[in-house]
Amino acid sequence: MSVSQANLTATVEAAPERIRRHLLVDRLYHWIMAACVLTLLATAFLPIIGVKFDWLGLHWMTGVVLAVLVVYHMVRASIWQSLRSMVIDSGDIANGWRRLARFFGATAAPPGKPGKYNGLQKLYHAGIAVLLLSIVASGLTMLLKIDTPFWRRNPYWFADYAWGVIYAVHGLAAMALLTLIMIHIYFAVRPDEWWLTRSMFRGWITRREYDTHHDRARWQADDA
Amino acid sequence: MQLFRYSTSIYGGSDVMIGASWDLLPWFVAAGAAFIVVHAVVKAFAGRRQADEPR
Repeated sequence: MSVSQANLTATVEAAPERIRRHLLVDRLYHWIMAACVLTLLATAFLPIIGVKFDWLGLHWMTGVVLAVLVVYHMVRASIWQSLRSMVIDSGDIANGWRRLARFFGATAAPPGKPGKYNGLQKLYHAGIAVLLLSIVASGLTMLLKIDTPFWRRNPYWFADYAWGVIYAVHGLAAMALLTLIMIHIYFAVRPDEWWLTRSMFRGWITRREYDTHHDRARWQADDA
Repeated sequence: MQLFRYSTSIYGGSDVMIGASWDLLPWFVAAGAAFIVVHAVVKAFAGRRQADEPR
């Protein structure tokens, strides 16, 4: 064994068995966000399909919590996390194209490994971001139409037509969010994706999972 | 099926849009279910094809 081979072997053996994927603060954010979104979807749509209950108070209060969480996430992602890791880049597009071509039997080079997130995860995140920002912005505006312990309603800020547009944006974005949440839960429970779901509980993935699914050059991970 | 809900203005005239139509809700649920079914079938198909490939 040469000196360089020995060094490589020593480096691999010294590499951590647990690779940190999500900090505790990010996992807490994810699960509080999930509880808020599920509560909001339930209080929004159960009354529509016939399950009648006093939904408005729980809905708007949870909505305010969600708005705070979204602002928190935007600040944290911008300052303390890597925004680039969530932006679709040329590598993601090339990988997606190769995967599609090979699926349909065309000759193409094997797709490379992604960084922390693959192209479809980034695309999903972008879709969720657009929907949530639409829902939060329209929902906060709709608070002007209800009395709360903090303010009195004032429905005259906007004309009837403008209110209609605000309510339409809120409703359409909420229904589209329901579709995306169904897809998110489906991927979370798929056996081949369970290693990712597990990392949202434990915060880490194994070194083997890291080596199998990620490009070290595109995601320089820390040990857990 | 309508995309939006409308209400008759108390001042007369044309109807006023008041929000998205809840008739769309089953379609959004169906879209999610369709994606899940198609993805599961494609993954099963791709997995079987990979298993059949000579090593």
